[in-house]
Amino acid sequence: MEGHSPLVSYSTLEVRREGHVGWLVFDRPDRRNAMDATMLAELESAWRELDDDPVVRVIVNTGNGDAFQTGLDVAQLARDPEALREQSRRTKRAELKFTAWHNEVWKPVIAAVNGICAGGGLHFVADADIVIASSNATFLDPHVSIGQVTAYEAIALVRKSPMEPICRMAFTGRHERVDAARARQLGILSEVVESPDELRARAQELAETIARNSPAAMAATKRALWGALELGLTDACRAGAHELMSMWGHPDQTEGPAAWAEKREPQWVTTSI
Amino acid sequence: MGRETRAAVGDYEHLIVERHGPVGWLVNNRPDQLNAMNARMRDEFADAWRELDDDDAVRVIVHTGNGRAFQTGVDVAEIASDGVGMQRYRQSVENFDLHFTSWQQRVWKPVITAVNGICAGGGFHWVADADIVICASDAQFFDPHVSIGQVVSIEAIGLMRKMPVEAVMRMAFVGRYERLSAERAYELGMVSEVVDPPDELRARAQELAETIARNSPAAMAATKRALWGALELGLTDACRAGAAELVSMWGHPDQDEGPAAFADKREPRWQT
Repeated sequence: MEGHSPLVSYSTLEVRREGHVGWLVFDRPDRRNAMDATMLAELESAWRELDDDPVVRVIVNTGNGDAFQTGLDVAQLARDPEALREQSRRTKRAELKFTAWHNEVWKPVIAAVNGICAGGGLHFVADADIVIASSNATFLDPHVSIGQVTAYEAIALVRKSPMEPICRMAFTGRHERVDAARARQLGILSEVVESPDELRARAQELAETIARNSPAAMAATKRALWGALELGLTDACRAGAHELMSMWGHPDQTEGPAAWAEKREPQWVTTSI
Repeated sequence: MGRETRAAVGDYEHLIVERHGPVGWLVNNRPDQLNAMNARMRDEFADAWRELDDDDAVRVIVHTGNGRAFQTGVDVAEIASDGVGMQRYRQSVENFDLHFTSWQQRVWKPVITAVNGICAGGGFHWVADADIVICASDAQFFDPHVSIGQVVSIEAIGLMRKMPVEAVMRMAFVGRYERLSAERAYELGMVSEVVDPPDELRARAQELAETIARNSPAAMAATKRALWGALELGLTDACRAGAAELVSMWGHPDQDEGPAAFADKREPRWQT
């Protein structure tokens, strides 16, 4: 896929653009894309870079190789705990910075799960707006099988999908997997791409569809919807009302209906948001 | 199940409490009343959950029922016939001081509810408050409260936080005139497994519980606190509280034993 050369150079990620779509690709295929200290730091830069780029309207997150993401690199943790000290501190203080939600990315984010998604890999499913997967994708949470606790990723997932299957995944640990078809049935993801080779093309297509909508309206919508997970219903509606009104008078609100009437694509305001 | 059964510590009239290996069993045992909960059974639940949670040999708890029903809620016959009625429960409900489910009793071991037949009305308390729910293929779910002039509240509030809301509302308002099938409960993520034929439910529950019992008890307890805590708070605050649970395991012997056992290809020996 052609694209602009990245602004920053990454060693554990691939970051590129295709039209209005920014791609953030985990790139440690021989480590099943496990996150070492370098990747954890690079993720923060990559989300920021793509969110700050006004050309990028939608971000797709996927992985190179057989795995989507398998969480913290336990090999590095065992070999060189010092390297992950900063992350330990951030975990303790609930100041993680490796997902789009952690980094307050207000552009739509699509996770395209290309294979195994295990443990901490679930962070990127939980914190995406839209999730699609190839038919060979599998989901499991082995934390408790190695004496670790499951928290953040499952906390968000129980707010976004039926809770029972998330609890089952948390407690069966490495001894059971959820397949892509069941994950779709449960609403954890919305689309299964039958042929794994076609996952990226479908993700690009879906992202381009979404990129046809008003960036400003989508950012306010995203803030309103994620805000709903922070508050009781009435308070969330109140906060959402503010997001709604924030767009009143915005040029996109005249451009949208005008373009529709004239049967043409709208020219949205694209200043960085 | 072909395993040794130790005599129960407590003396129960309406429940059966057993151990099978690392699995504690709590069985509703008023089959002739469709396991409806009378005042005595309500008290026995409080003791039984505590007994199983306090027993170090028990790592996972399975809850099911004898007969053709799992649970059908408060014993309406007792309420209607003894002249005391629902008033006997007024104070505990007003104070939300209930003790008949594992959540109410703060059981931090994984709990599997195995729904063996009819689950009606108050029976949903044990579906809402379990971590994992499986059911027999002939299980049926319905909530007749409003059909007899009662309010649906606590159990449905729990369910609404755990599954699609529309399905819960529909059961609440259709009352006794419609039933939800095992298949639909599976589709909705209310249960994660339907066992067919139905008479294999207990064997499957035991097997699932034994699988779960292979994981670190301490890590599972902290995980359970983190996940149920997620229903109490906004997302960010819940993650913050969850971080404290996560960090609570750092330095625990299970965190060395887990990876070591995995590397040696043997079962971990967890601290109990």
